[in-house]
Amino acid sequence: MAFIKVGNSAASIITPVVARDHLIELLKSPDVSERRAAVRGLAAFPDSMVFLYEHLAVETNNSVRSLVFVELINHKSFAVAGDLLCLLASEDANLRGGAIEALQEMPDEMAPHVEAMLVDPDSDVRIGVVAILAALRHPKVPIWLQEVIERDPHVNVCAAAIDALAEVGEPRSIPALIALAKRFRDIAFIQFAVAAATRRISGR
Amino acid sequence: MVQQLIGVKSMKMAELSQEAVLSDEDFAKFREFFYKKTGIMFEAKKKYFVERRILDRMMSSKCGSFREYFHAVRFESGGKEMQRLVNQMTVNETYFFREDYQFKALVEGVLPELASSQALIRPIRIWSVPCSTGEEPYSLAMYILEHWADADRFDIQIQASDIDSAVLAEAAAGIYGPRSLSRLSAAMVAKYFTKLDGDRFRISQDLRGSIDFSQGNVVEPDFMGRFRGVDVIFCRNMLIYFDETSQRETIETLYDCLSPGGYICLGHSESMSRMSSLFRPRKFGDVILYQKPTENSR
Repeated sequence: MAFIKVGNSAASIITPVVARDHLIELLKSPDVSERRAAVRGLAAFPDSMVFLYEHLAVETNNSVRSLVFVELINHKSFAVAGDLLCLLASEDANLRGGAIEALQEMPDEMAPHVEAMLVDPDSDVRIGVVAILAALRHPKVPIWLQEVIERDPHVNVCAAAIDALAEVGEPRSIPALIALAKRFRDIAFIQFAVAAATRRISGR
Repeated sequence: MVQQLIGVKSMKMAELSQEAVLSDEDFAKFREFFYKKTGIMFEAKKKYFVERRILDRMMSSKCGSFREYFHAVRFESGGKEMQRLVNQMTVNETYFFREDYQFKALVEGVLPELASSQALIRPIRIWSVPCSTGEEPYSLAMYILEHWADADRFDIQIQASDIDSAVLAEAAAGIYGPRSLSRLSAAMVAKYFTKLDGDRFRISQDLRGSIDFSQGNVVEPDFMGRFRGVDVIFCRNMLIYFDETSQRETIETLYDCLSPGGYICLGHSESMSRMSSLFRPRKFGDVILYQKPTENSR
C-alpha cells in the first residue's frame, strides 16, 4: 500500500505572537514567505494598515502584493479606500489593477470618494474610477456613470462609462447616451458603442 | 387587502412564467455579466435553460421583471442573490471518478514530476478540499493505485477535509449507492468494494484507513495553518460559490498551504485567472492545473 497517514491534520500550529515592530522589519526580508508572514502578522494590528499600504510602493513580488491587497480589503475603511485611490495615478499597471480590484470590493467605503474622484484632473485616474464603478455593488453606480457621460470632456473616459452603462444602465440613461453621441459625432467608435449600449439597456 | 395583493402578485408571476423572460439582448447582457463573475459562458442554445432558472429566482425573490431582478443581483450588497443564482445555474453532485481526466493529468504529469524532484525525501501530499462524502479522495487513491506504476515506490499522504461534519462521517463510513458508483467498472467495484444489503457497497478497509479526514473551514486561519507543504490540492467546485473577497482570501491561504511548485486543481467551470494571478497555468494534455511558482526570493 502506497498510502500513509501522518495525521498532522489533527495537529494545530500555534502562531507565536510577534511584536509589531518586528513584523514591520520583517517586511524587508529577502524571503518572500517571510514577507507574506509579516503581512499576515501585521493584519492582526488594525492600525497597521498604513504600513501595509506603504509597503505596496516598494514590494516587487506579486504574491506579497496580492496578500497586502487582500488584507486591505479585510480591513476596509474610508481611509483605506482613500489610500488605494491614490494608486490609480501610479505608473505601475500592476498596482493600478490591484487597487481597482480591491476598491471594487469595498462599495460602502468607496462611495463617499466617487464624486471627487470623477473630477480628478488626470483622465487616466478618471478612467480608473469608471473601471471601479463597472463592477461596484452600489445602487448609485448608474447615476455616477450617467454623470460621467454628461459632463466628462475626455472621449476615453466617456467610452469606458458607455461600456459600463451597457451592463448597468437604465432607460433613463438613454437620452444622455444620445446626447453624448451628438457631442462626439465625429468619433465612429463612440457612435457604435452608444448604439450597442442603447440596445442593451432597452433590451431590444 | 393583503390576500388581494398576494393574489395579484401570484397572478403576475403565473403570467410571467408563461412568456419569455429574457429578450435576446437581455440574454446577451446576462451571459456577459455571468461570465465576468464566474467564468461560466452559456451558449445561445442554452437560453431556455438560463431563462427557466432566472425565472425561478425571480419568483423566489419577488421580482416582477428581468430588469428588476438583474438590478438586484448586480447591486445587492453582500452578493447573496448572486450566490443563489450560481447555485441554480450549476450542478453540484459528487460521484467516483468525476472529471477523471484531471486524475489522469495527476498520474501522467504531476506525480512523475514530483517524484523526480523529491527523490524520496518526504511523502507526496495530496489534499482534497472540500471532500464532501469522500468520493473524490477515494477516487484519487484508486486512480493512483490503478494507473501510476510507481505508486508503491513512494509514500503518498491523502488528506481530505470538509466544513460539514455530517458528510465527513459518511465519507469515513465509506458506504455508497449506485449513483456514486455509476462511473466505476464492475471490476473496480469488485476490487475495492464489499457488497452490503440492497444496492449499497462499502469501500475497502484499506482505502478507508488510508485517507486522513478532518473537519474545518477554509476561511479559518487556524485550520488552514495545519496544512503546509502540500503538493497537490484538489479544490473543485467550491470557489465558484464564494464571493470575490472570500475567493481571494481562500486562494491566498491555499497558496500558503502549497509547497513551492505545488499544484491546485479546480473544477471544470472555475478559472484561476479570473480570481488571482498568483499561479502559473500548466497544461497537461487538455487539462489546466495551476502551479505555485518555485522561486522564493525577490
